Amino acid sequence: MQLQDKYRIAVLSAYALALHGIENLVPTPIPWLRLGLANIVTLVALVLFGFRTAMMVTMIRVILASLFTGTFLGPSFVMSFGGGLTSTAAMGLTYRMSRGLFGPIGLSLVGAFFHNMAQLVLAYILFIQRIEAMYIITPVIVLLGTLTGVANGAVSGLLIKKLLKKEDDRIQNDIANERQSQ
Amino acid sequence: MKTVIRNTTVADKLLFLFMITASLAGIFISRAAMPQGGEVVVEINGKKAYAFALDEDRIFAVPGPCGDTVIEIKNKKARVKEAHCPNRLCEKQGWISKGVIVCLPNRIVVSVGGRSANSSKEVDAITG
Repeated sequence: MQLQDKYRIAVLSAYALALHGIENLVPTPIPWLRLGLANIVTLVALVLFGFRTAMMVTMIRVILASLFTGTFLGPSFVMSFGGGLTSTAAMGLTYRMSRGLFGPIGLSLVGAFFHNMAQLVLAYILFIQRIEAMYIITPVIVLLGTLTGVANGAVSGLLIKKLLKKEDDRIQNDIANERQSQ
Repeated sequence: MKTVIRNTTVADKLLFLFMITASLAGIFISRAAMPQGGEVVVEINGKKAYAFALDEDRIFAVPGPCGDTVIEIKNKKARVKEAHCPNRLCEKQGWISKGVIVCLPNRIVVSVGGRSANSSKEVDAITG
């Protein structure tokens, strides 16, 4: 792994961690509804820097966040970890398999859906163990996840576009500078 | 906003529409499949004596130390229609759609609650 990659992962993880923390402070109408803002960073990392960076960033974010809140290896950590792992893997696979088919919003939707499903399965195993409760709660959670997923995807799309443009400008500038010095 | 819309591919839109319709359909299907309202359970002396579905209207009498207590189920609500205890607090409580009516002199507890009502309270926290 190159040094630049390490810096990138560190910075992205810091952003993801900050969003993860802020999201805990935002009041939501339903207590267990979360916006999944940290997924924005995962998505940007996936599109700009590849699957491995995205996975690293997600893992670091989940583990550090649980260490800070004192839930490391607890049930909520297991749910968080499982959700992050599954959604990042699903987004990475979708992105690789269907290059160009899905934009950031589509990827975000896939991520949100798999995050929800993983968490529902884990919640069923860990806490609820009543299948009829899952039947009622699953569509509601998937609906909410779709809505937040679209919002996150839109933000990610804007961010990716902006970052790509910046990178483009930088390269253009570099070329121009080189020409001038020659 | 414009950039967002321009960035969305056809597959994105289809996926979004599919997710919304599927989850909405899921909500309605699960609502329809689950028994609504639940049941009325009458306990005498702490033992379950009767259980009736809440969506069937009926009037029935339960014997007790102070005479028969008449319980009525109507419009998915239950009440104690007639009691012969001194205070008649149970009668004054009126119609309930959830919770309990207690008649201490007669040692009768009428509780209204469904399995679906209990199960939706099951999830305390999902954190991600």
